[in-house]
Amino acid sequence: MQFLNSMSRAIDTFNRWIGRATVWLILASILVSAGNALTRKAFRLSSNFWLEAQWHLYGAAFLCAAGYVLLVDEHVRIDAIAHRFSPRLRAWLDLAVMLLFVVPLCALMVWLGGIYFWHAFQTGETSFHAGGPIRWPVDFCIPLGFGLLGLQCISESVKRAQFLLGRRDRPSLAEADLPEFFGDAPAAKGGS
Amino acid sequence: MSWLAANLAPLMFGGLALFLFTGVPVAFALMACGMSFAVLGIASGALPPQLIGALPLRVFGIVSSELLLAIPFFTFMGMVLQRSGMAEDLLETIGQVFGPVRGGLALAVVFVGALLGATTGVVAASVISMGLISLPVMLRHGYNPRIASGVIAASGTLALVVPPSLVLIVVADQLGTSVGDMYAGALMPAALVVGLYAALVGLLALCKPQWMPALPPSSRTFREANGHSGYRSLLVLSMIGTAAGWALLRVYPQFLRWLGREFAPPADEVLMVGLAGGILSAFLLALLDAALRLHCLSALARKVAFVLIPPLILIFLVLGTIFLGVATPTEGGALGSLGAVVLAAGRRRLTPRQAAQALLDTTKLSTLVMFVLIGSTVFSLVFQGADGSVWVERLFADLPGGATGFLVVVTLLVFVLGFFLDFFEIAFILLPLLAPIARKLGIDLVWFGVLVGVNLQTSFMTPPFGFSLFFLRGVAPQQDHADPRTGRTIRRIATSDIYIGVLPFVAVQVLVMALIIAFPPLVQRADVGLTMDAPAVERALRGMAPPAPAIPPIDPIQMLLDSLRKPAR
Repeated sequence: MQFLNSMSRAIDTFNRWIGRATVWLILASILVSAGNALTRKAFRLSSNFWLEAQWHLYGAAFLCAAGYVLLVDEHVRIDAIAHRFSPRLRAWLDLAVMLLFVVPLCALMVWLGGIYFWHAFQTGETSFHAGGPIRWPVDFCIPLGFGLLGLQCISESVKRAQFLLGRRDRPSLAEADLPEFFGDAPAAKGGS
Repeated sequence: MSWLAANLAPLMFGGLALFLFTGVPVAFALMACGMSFAVLGIASGALPPQLIGALPLRVFGIVSSELLLAIPFFTFMGMVLQRSGMAEDLLETIGQVFGPVRGGLALAVVFVGALLGATTGVVAASVISMGLISLPVMLRHGYNPRIASGVIAASGTLALVVPPSLVLIVVADQLGTSVGDMYAGALMPAALVVGLYAALVGLLALCKPQWMPALPPSSRTFREANGHSGYRSLLVLSMIGTAAGWALLRVYPQFLRWLGREFAPPADEVLMVGLAGGILSAFLLALLDAALRLHCLSALARKVAFVLIPPLILIFLVLGTIFLGVATPTEGGALGSLGAVVLAAGRRRLTPRQAAQALLDTTKLSTLVMFVLIGSTVFSLVFQGADGSVWVERLFADLPGGATGFLVVVTLLVFVLGFFLDFFEIAFILLPLLAPIARKLGIDLVWFGVLVGVNLQTSFMTPPFGFSLFFLRGVAPQQDHADPRTGRTIRRIATSDIYIGVLPFVAVQVLVMALIIAFPPLVQRADVGLTMDAPAVERALRGMAPPAPAIPPIDPIQMLLDSLRKPAR
C-alpha cells in the first residue's frame, strides 16, 4: 500500500509538471497562428511549416494535458442523475470505468500509436505539403498523451481505492489542494 | 450471438446512455462504451478485429483539424476578457446609460448578454457574472425579482447564437459547412432574438411600470460638475460616429475600385466596414479628447467610449477578418486573443499572473473538450462499424412526413437532450449522426445548424432543467437580506421566481424557432461577392477541363471499413 501511495504521488507530481508545461504550448500556438495571418496579409508570406506548426503545438498541448486535467478532476461529467449517488458509489463507478476500460484503451493507444510513431520516425516522414514539418514529434504525442492519461487513471484509482478503504477523506484532488501553479504567492482559487 | 450481432447498434446507444448517467467523465463514458462493444462485437464476429487499428488515425484526424484549433483561441479570448473585468465594466456603464429609463437596467442586461456571448461564448460565465453584478442592482432599485432573474437567465444563453461565438464554429465543423456561412446565417436570427428580448422588456416596462422602475437621478455615478447628466455629449459623439460610418460606407466601393479590385464588394462586407469605421472614429475622438485633456466630452460619454467600444472592436476584428477573407476563423480567433490581451493590458487590467491563469484555464477547457471529441470518435468508430448510421437512418426513414417529420423529431430530441448534456456533447455525439440524414433530405445544413443553436438556447433556459437556471440559482440570494447600500430588506429569490420569470423569454425563443422554420430565408446565405451566370460558368469550365470521371467522392473511413469487412465475411 505504501508503494502504491508513493507511486500515485509521483504520477501526480509528474503530470502536474507536464500540465504546467503545456500551457506555454497553447500560448505558442496562439502567437504562431496570429503571426501566420499577419505576415500573410502584410508581407504576402505564407509557410506550410508555420501553418502546420500551429496545430502540432495545440495537438501536443491537449494530448499531454489530459492526465493533468484528470488529476484536478475537471473532465466534464453528467451529474443529472449521478448527483444523487453516494460518494462511495461514485468512487466505485470511477474506479471500475477507469480500470476496466480507460486503462486498457490507453495501453492500446500507446501500442498502436507507438507503431505509427516508430514508422514515421524511421522514415523521417514529413507532411505532404511542400515545406511542411516532420511528422514524428506530433505522432509521438499520441502514445505519450494516452500514456500520461493511463498513468493518471492508475493514480486516481489508487486514490479512489484508499477513499473506499477509509484511508482518505476525499476521493480526488482539486486545483485548490495543490501548491500554487504560477509564482509562490498564496493561491487565489484557480480554475474556475 | 447472432441476435447480438444484429442489434449491436441499438444496444450501443442504450449502453451509452447508461454509461453517461453513471456520472463518470463524459470522455471516459464514451471510451468505455466504445471499448466494451468493440470487444463484444469482435467476440461475436459482428465486427472485424482490424477495426480497432484505425483508432490512431482517427485521433490523428482530430489533432490535425485546423478548425478545432479555434477552440483554445476563442476560449483564451473569453478568459482574458473575463479576468480583465469586462463584464463588470460593461454592466455598470450600460446600466448607467439606460438606467434612468424605465426597464433600462433589464435592457442593459440583454445587450451585455449579447456582447458577452459573442466574445466569451460560455453560458455559465455570462449568467454568473450578470447574476452577481446586475441582479443586486436591479433588486435594490425595486425591480420585480421574477423579471430580473428571467432576463438574466435568458440573456446568458445568447452565447449560443451570436457570432463570432465558438459554438457556431464547432457546429460548422461537425456539420461540415463553412464557418463564414454559419456566421452569416446566424446574424439575422441572433439579431432577431436580441431584438425581441429588448421588445419584450420594453413592452413589460410600458404595461407594468411598477415591475421595472427607472433609476432615480441620485443613483447616477457619472455626472458633470455642473450637474448635467452628460447625455448630450454622448449623443453628439454617437452622431459623429454614425456620420463617419455612413460616409465610409458610401466611399468604400470607390476606394476598392481605386485599389484595383474588379468586383463590387458584397453588401455585408460594406456594412461591416462602415460599422467598424464608425465605431473606430468615435473611439479615436474620445481618445483624442482624453489625451489632449480637452474635456469636450462628458464623463458619461468618455466612460461609454472606453468601456463599450473595445469589445465591439474585438468582435469586428474577429468577424471582419473572417468575412473579408483576411484570416481563417482559426486565425481570427488568434488575432482576437492577441487583441483581448492588448486591450486588457492597455487598460492595466491584466497582470502577467492573471494572464497565466487565463492560459491555464484555457488549457483545461480545451483539453476536456478535445477529449470528449476523442471519446466520441472511439464510440463512433465502433458504432459505424456496427452499421449504426444505417440503423439511425432507418429509424428516421420510418417517420411520416419526410423532412418535416425529421425536423420535428430532431428539434424535440435536441431540446430534451439539452436538459442533460452540455453543448459540446450534443455537438460531438448527435450532430455527426444527424448531418448525413439532413443532407439526404435536402435540408440546408447552415440553416439546420442555426436552428439547432436556437433550439439549444431554448433548452438551456427552460424550467426545470435548463442549465442557465441552475447557474443563476447558484448566485441569486437564497435568504432575505439587508441591502448593504440602502439598509432595506431585500427578499430572497425563490426558485419558482426564476422559473416563472424566464417563461416569457422561452415563448420568444419558440416564436423565433417557428419563424426560422416558416421563413428559411431568415438564415441568410453569404453571397460570395461574385455573381455570375451559372450556365455560362459551366460552359466555360467544360471548355477548359477534361470531362469529369463519374467517381463519387471518396470517404476514407468508409473505404477502410469496407476493406476490413470484406475478409471478415
